[in-house]
This record gives sequence, C-alpha cells and structure tokens, in this order.
Amino acid sequence: MENSTIKAAPLLEAINLTKVYEDGVKALNALNVTVREGEIYAMLGGNGAGKTTTINIFLDFIQPTSGQALIHGVNANELPLEAKKHVAFVSENVQLYPNFTAMQNLDFFARLGGKSNYKRSDYENALIRVGLQSDAFDKKLKDFSKGMRQKCGIAIAILKDAPAILLDEPTSGLDPKAGKEFTRLIGELRDEGKAILMSTHDIFRAKEIADFVGILNNGELVAEKTRAELEGVNLEDLYVEYMAGYMDEMAETGSSLANNLSET
Amino acid sequence: MFKLIFLKELRDIIQSSRFTISFAVCSVLIILAFVMGAQNYLASKAQYDAAIQENRNQIEANTDWVMVEHSIMLPPQPLMTLVNGVLNDIGRNISMSGRGELRSENTRFNDEPIFAVFRFMDLEFIFGIILSLFAIIFAYDAINGEKNRGTLKLCFANPISRAGYIGGKLAGSFVGLSVALLIPILIGCALLPVLGVQLSADEWLRLALILIAGIAYFGVFLAIAITISASTVKPSNAFLIGLVVWIFAVLIVPRTSVLISGRIVDVPNVDEITAQKNRYRTQLFDEDRPKMSNFQLPEGTEMEDAMGVFQSFMSDLSATRQEKIDLFNARLNEQYTNKKRQQERLALSLSRISPSSAFTLAATELAGTSLTLQNHFMDAAYTYQESYADFMNEKTGSNRSSGFRMVMITTGGVEEEPEPLDPDELPQFTFKSQDISSAARAGMVDLSLLILFNLVFFGGAFRAFLNYDLR
Repeated sequence: MENSTIKAAPLLEAINLTKVYEDGVKALNALNVTVREGEIYAMLGGNGAGKTTTINIFLDFIQPTSGQALIHGVNANELPLEAKKHVAFVSENVQLYPNFTAMQNLDFFARLGGKSNYKRSDYENALIRVGLQSDAFDKKLKDFSKGMRQKCGIAIAILKDAPAILLDEPTSGLDPKAGKEFTRLIGELRDEGKAILMSTHDIFRAKEIADFVGILNNGELVAEKTRAELEGVNLEDLYVEYMAGYMDEMAETGSSLANNLSET
Repeated sequence: MFKLIFLKELRDIIQSSRFTISFAVCSVLIILAFVMGAQNYLASKAQYDAAIQENRNQIEANTDWVMVEHSIMLPPQPLMTLVNGVLNDIGRNISMSGRGELRSENTRFNDEPIFAVFRFMDLEFIFGIILSLFAIIFAYDAINGEKNRGTLKLCFANPISRAGYIGGKLAGSFVGLSVALLIPILIGCALLPVLGVQLSADEWLRLALILIAGIAYFGVFLAIAITISASTVKPSNAFLIGLVVWIFAVLIVPRTSVLISGRIVDVPNVDEITAQKNRYRTQLFDEDRPKMSNFQLPEGTEMEDAMGVFQSFMSDLSATRQEKIDLFNARLNEQYTNKKRQQERLALSLSRISPSSAFTLAATELAGTSLTLQNHFMDAAYTYQESYADFMNEKTGSNRSSGFRMVMITTGGVEEEPEPLDPDELPQFTFKSQDISSAARAGMVDLSLLILFNLVFFGGAFRAFLNYDLR
C-alpha cells in the first residue's frame, strides 16, 4: 500500500480564471490556484501581475471573463453573498473608520460579517491577540499608527471567524517589527486551519511563512513552489529568473525612455 | 443590514470633527436668525405702532376732515420677519385718497439702505445658502471617501447588498444631519415667545411647513452630493463638481430665469406708463381749461351762493375728468399687470428647475412674503379706499381726491370753538395675509417639487452606487 496524504477540500480555488479588461488588457490568463485548510498561498509578482485582480474576483468586485473563483465550493461571482460568508479580507493600508474607536470598528465589522453576539470581552481578546495594548481599545482610529490600524484589520478578520482569508499586500509599508508580528499572527491562523491566500511583493516574508508560493507575471502563473521545494533555494534568484522576461521588458522600456529623453 | 449601516452612518457623522464644527456654526446661525427675526419684528411693530399713533395725533390736531392727511400701513407679522421674501422691497405706507391710484411708499431699504446691499440674515438665507453648502461639504466624500480609505472594500468583503448599503447610508446621512439641524431650530422656536413674539396656531403651522420645506431642501443637496460622490473617484473632484452644481442651482439659475423671461416677455417700464398717464391727464386738463375760463354764473345767482355754484361746477368737471383718467389708467394698469404677471410666471417656472428657487418660493408663500404680498396689500388698500371715500363724502361733501381743494372761510357772526376730530370715527384699515389654506396650496407646489427633487437625487445616488466600482 502506498503512503498517501489525504488532502483537505479546497477552501479557495481559482479554476482557469481569466480576466480581459474592456481596453483589451489581459490581467489574468487561465490562473489555477488552490488553497486548502491550514495552508498559506503567497502570490508573488510585480505591479500588474494580476495578484490584486485575483483577490478582486474572489470578492466579486470584478467579474472574470472566464473561469471560476470558488470560496468553500461556492462560486464567488454567481452567489457572492453566500461565498462572502466564508471569507475574511485584510487589505493593504487599512484605515477603517477614523472617527470610530478600535472597539467600535470591530463591533461594526463583526456585525457586518454576521457576528452580532460578540461581547466587549471578545473584542478585547481579539485586540490583545493582535498585540494591541488595552489603552488603545477606546482610542479613535485616527490616532493610530499604520501598524496599529493593520492589527485592527487582522482582528476584524479573526472575529469574522471565516474558514478562508484573503490578504492583499498586508505587510506593505509596515516596519520590520510590525511585519514580524504580522507573520506570527498569520502563522497562528494557518495553524488554526484557515486557508490563506496572500498577495505580496515581500519575497522574504513569503518564503518565511507560505506553504505555496506562486509567481505571477502578466496575469500568468509562471511558477508554483511548495515550501519543501523552496528549502535551500534562493527565492529572490528564482523570482528574478521567472520574472526575467518582465524585467527585460521593463529595462527595454526604461532605456528607450532614456534615449528619447536624451534626444530631446 | 440596512439598520446596521444606518446606525454606523449616524455614529460616523456624529463623531466626526466636521460635524462638530458644522453643527456649532449652523446652530449659532439658525438661533441668530430666529433672534434677529424676533428683534426685527419687535422693532417693526414698535415703528408701526408709533406711525399709527402719529397718524391719530395728526387727525386729532385737526378740526376739519378736509385737512386730514391719512396714511395706511402694512402691519408687521412675525413670520414675515423670519422669512423676509419681498417684505423689505415693497412700500409699507400708502397715502390714502378717496379716489384714483394708490401708491405704496417707504420701503424698509429706504430707512436702512445698507441692508439693500447685504440683505437680512433670515431663515430663508440660512437654509438657502448656508445649509445647502453644508450639505455639499458633508456628503461630497460619502462614497469615494470610503473607497479611498479602503472601508468600502472591507465592507463589501462581507455578505451585504449594494442596495442595503446605499439605502442605509442615504437614510443615515439624511436623518443624522436633519435631526442635528432640528435641535437649533427647536431652540429658535422656543425662543420666540421668550423674546416676546407670540405666534398664532396658524402661524406655528406655517412655520412648521417652512421648516419641512427647509429640511427637504437640505435633503436635495445632500442627495446631490452623494450622487456626485458615487459617480467620482477622487473626493477633491467631487467637491469641485458639488460646488459648481451649488453655484448654478443657488446663484445662477434663479437670476438667469429672470433674465430669460425678461427677454421673452416684454413689459413696458413703469416710467413709460407714468409718462403716458401724465400726458393723458394734461391733455384732459387742457381740454377743460376753456370750459373753466368761460365759466359764468347763471343769471340771478346771489353773491353768497356764487362760491357754491362755482365749486359744484369745478367738482363736476373734475369728477368727469377723473372718471376718464381712471378708465385710462385702469386699462394701462391692467395691460401692465398682465404682462408683468406673464413675465413673473415664466421666470418662476424656469427658475423651478433649481431646488433653491423651489425652496424660496415655498418658504415665501408660506410666510406670506411672496411676490403676491404687494398685490394683497394693494388689494386691501383699494378695498379700504372705498370705505374711506364714503366716509370722506359724508364728512366733507367731497371724496378727497388729491389736488384741488377749496376752503371758504367766513368771518363775522358767532364764533364757535371747533371740535377736534375723533380718529376712531375713521374706518379702520385691516390687513390679513393669505389664509393658511391658500398659502399652503400655493406653497404645496414647490414643497412637492422639493420632495420630487429628493426622490430623483436619492434615486440618482442609488443608481450611481449600484454601478460604482468598489475596488
């Protein structure tokens, strides 16, 4: 008998996901990504690679041209209200409601996510878990630093208690300490069985935390590596290697621009 | 979901520093408008009472009704000082004569010309200019601001419908800001009796309708701002567009409609008409002059009767002439009035595409200070003229038309001490503004229009948001 691993059902699944915008730009080309319970999938890629487009399709902010985005087996674009019950979201540069306190923000978003039975202690526990001090609980968000706001955003995702989590550039602009703390939290959530799909520019954090790393270039998944496959590999070199075409193209554009400028 | 968004919006508004500042400014201005309105009313009332007393004194100082110079005045009313409308632009006094044309004189701006330049700060100004601008300032980033903060994306990562969200947001903004406005308004209303201004039940009802029109007007600009916010990405662009819309609606459209109607309907100017009337009067007088020159006493007239015969001749001549003048003037006046009303109707219809005009018209109709105020005052004056003419006829034997007056003083005989006149003998002039049902009927057109504007722009905001790019 072969030694096989029983895989959990996918909680986030992109099947041949394609998006062509009205101006003809192909943002995604037959993307296939699967994230199961207790997994972190990091999508790496430059600007315009299709990372945020993927997340936007999962959240039904845009419709795919073809293919499917499934959350907990529910088509996110056909039954968005049902699909969104099973997913939490943390965006880049979370600001939340600046005139609300941390507690008020948590309360509002928890209720919006269908959790209307939380008590103050539940919110306090979530805030403590993400590393906020008790003196910040009743402060208005406009007095928070970016890192503190990001922690609030994660607390909101924790309180929703959804099986899947989407993170869009979650560590963008965070200082190293806040970034490290964030990595710890995401790891904890993975250990609790959450399926996490994360878009990021941060190669090192992706390697540190992700179970799968997918490299996207011009809407295509050009490489997908497991944590095991990344052991001993310099991810930066790998990233540059796969992005070479993209980089060359950028360099070409840059040099022609420089030439044009020098001619003028 | 609707309730959750609604309550969030209320809380967000109330906890914002923008609200605190705007609420403080609005409260001060609204309460100030009530206080100034009350003070204006009390000052006008004191002035009116003094003028009435002066009129009485003047009558009492005379011993013959022939010598009396009687004036009637537009009595001040509390609502009129809260919503001025045309009150300060029309003459408040009319010098009474038993026949002929009456002319209102002495506008408020005659006494205080500075206000003609800067106008008064009444409730119509506060709502029409200040609060509509605050609505834009409040709501220009209602949707695109949330998008820029990332809260829109975060909200819609949850199972909520767009319709529920925008519905809750619109209702929350409207209720939150309207209730906030009602607080200083209610304080202002409560201050009126304290300041010595007593309103009748009818006037309270009118004031309530004016305030409903004001809130509806505020709602229109709130919905316009939210529609713009749901149609743009950058809040700065939305603010700029909102400001342009406000300038057009509040400042440009009402003035332009008057200009356009002036171009379309040609109304002869008052000086032209007055010149025509004067020419006709002179012409008739010239025609009568030979008759006067050729006047001869009938044969056998006693010397003591001569003056009476001559006076009777002159009086008949004057009456016939005046009859012709009255007919001619009436015809000219009617033509002028018809044209003027046609022009006004066109201007008002055109201006109603702006919610600002609809509010002004509704508020002034309900306060009794619309364009019709002058007509009402003049109608009341002409009605009074009839009883005044009868009274003067009875007292003096002539109806005291202006101009020719002959007094015969005899000497000799037994001197009798003449009795001073009793002003109470004179018929009293009463002016009643339009009754509540007529005012409400007239104001209802514009009030309905404001509600329609609300529905259209709230619908517009709803529709714009359904197509809004949430990313």
